[in-house]
Amino acid sequence: MASDRTRVSPRGLTLLAATAVVGLVLAIHGWSAHNSSRLPGPLAGSGPASTTPAAGRHSAAPSPPRASASPSAGPLLRSQPFAQYAFRVWPGVPGATAKSAMTGLSISVRKRGNGLLVTAGLAGQAARQPKFYPGGTDVYVVEATMGDDSGNTDYNLGDDGLVVTSAAGRILQ
Amino acid sequence: MTADAATAGERLVADWSPTAGRVLLGLVLAWFGYHELVQPALWTGYVPVLSSTSAAAVVLVLAHGWLLLVLAVALVAGIVPRLAAAAAALLLLQIVITLTATAGLSDLTLRDVGVLGLAVCLTGRGTQRLTV
Repeated sequence: MASDRTRVSPRGLTLLAATAVVGLVLAIHGWSAHNSSRLPGPLAGSGPASTTPAAGRHSAAPSPPRASASPSAGPLLRSQPFAQYAFRVWPGVPGATAKSAMTGLSISVRKRGNGLLVTAGLAGQAARQPKFYPGGTDVYVVEATMGDDSGNTDYNLGDDGLVVTSAAGRILQ
Repeated sequence: MTADAATAGERLVADWSPTAGRVLLGLVLAWFGYHELVQPALWTGYVPVLSSTSAAAVVLVLAHGWLLLVLAVALVAGIVPRLAAAAAALLLLQIVITLTATAGLSDLTLRDVGVLGLAVCLTGRGTQRLTV
C-alpha cells in the first residue's frame, strides 16, 4: 500500500508517543549511569585530537607541575566494563589494534624504579606532566569505538582513556 | 525480457527504493540514538564548545539521542516520513559542519555527507510504502 502522508494517523501518534516515553526512560538510565560509564585516565574531557593542523583547534597549555598523591591500587581491570576496549601499549610493541586506539594520542612510558613514569596527552599538543605510578607494570589505552578515528585524528576523546595496572592486574588510580 | 517486464521492474525499484532508503536511514539514527541514550559519556567528545566532562554536554547528548530515536521510529514506520527526513537532514548538516569545523574534512565527515544526501533525497519523495 502506497501513501502520501502529510498527517499523523492515530496509530502513528501512539507509536511516536511510546517511542518518546521509551527514549525518556533510556535517557534517565543514561543520566544515572553516565558517571560510572566514563572512562578512566587523563584523556577524557579533551577536544578532538589531531596530528595535522586543523582549523579551529587550539593548543592546550602544559599542565603546571603538581605533587599528585601516589596512585593506589583499585579494582581489577578485567572486572571493569571497559576492559573489552582496553589495549595494552606497554610493555612490548603495541599491536595493530592498540596503534589504532592510540590515534590522536601521544603516550610515552618509561620504567623508573619499581614503577612507571607515564606521559599521556593529545598528539600535536603540548606535552602534559608525566605521572609516576609506583608498582605499575602495564599500560593500556582505552578506546570504546574506533569509528571516531580518521587518519591521525580522533574526533571524540570522550571514549578514550588510559589505564596503568599493577602486576596483579589492578588499576592504579 | 519484454518491455513490459522491464517497465514493471523499474516501477518496482521506483516504488520500493525510497522505502528501503527510509528504513536504512532510520536504522542508522536508531543505532546512534540508542547508544547516545544509554552511554552518553562516550559521546560528549562530539559536543562543540562545551567541555566533554560537563553535565551540560551529557544533557545535550541525551537530548540528541532522544531526538534521533524518535526520528528513527518515524522513518522506519513511515510516520510523516518527509518531515522526519527533513529534521534528520538538519541534524546531519549540523554534524557535518561541526566535524568539519573542529577537525577538518576526512573520510568520516564525507561519510556523513553521504548520509545527509540520503536524508535530503527522502524529503522530496511524497509517496511511501510500508507506512503506519
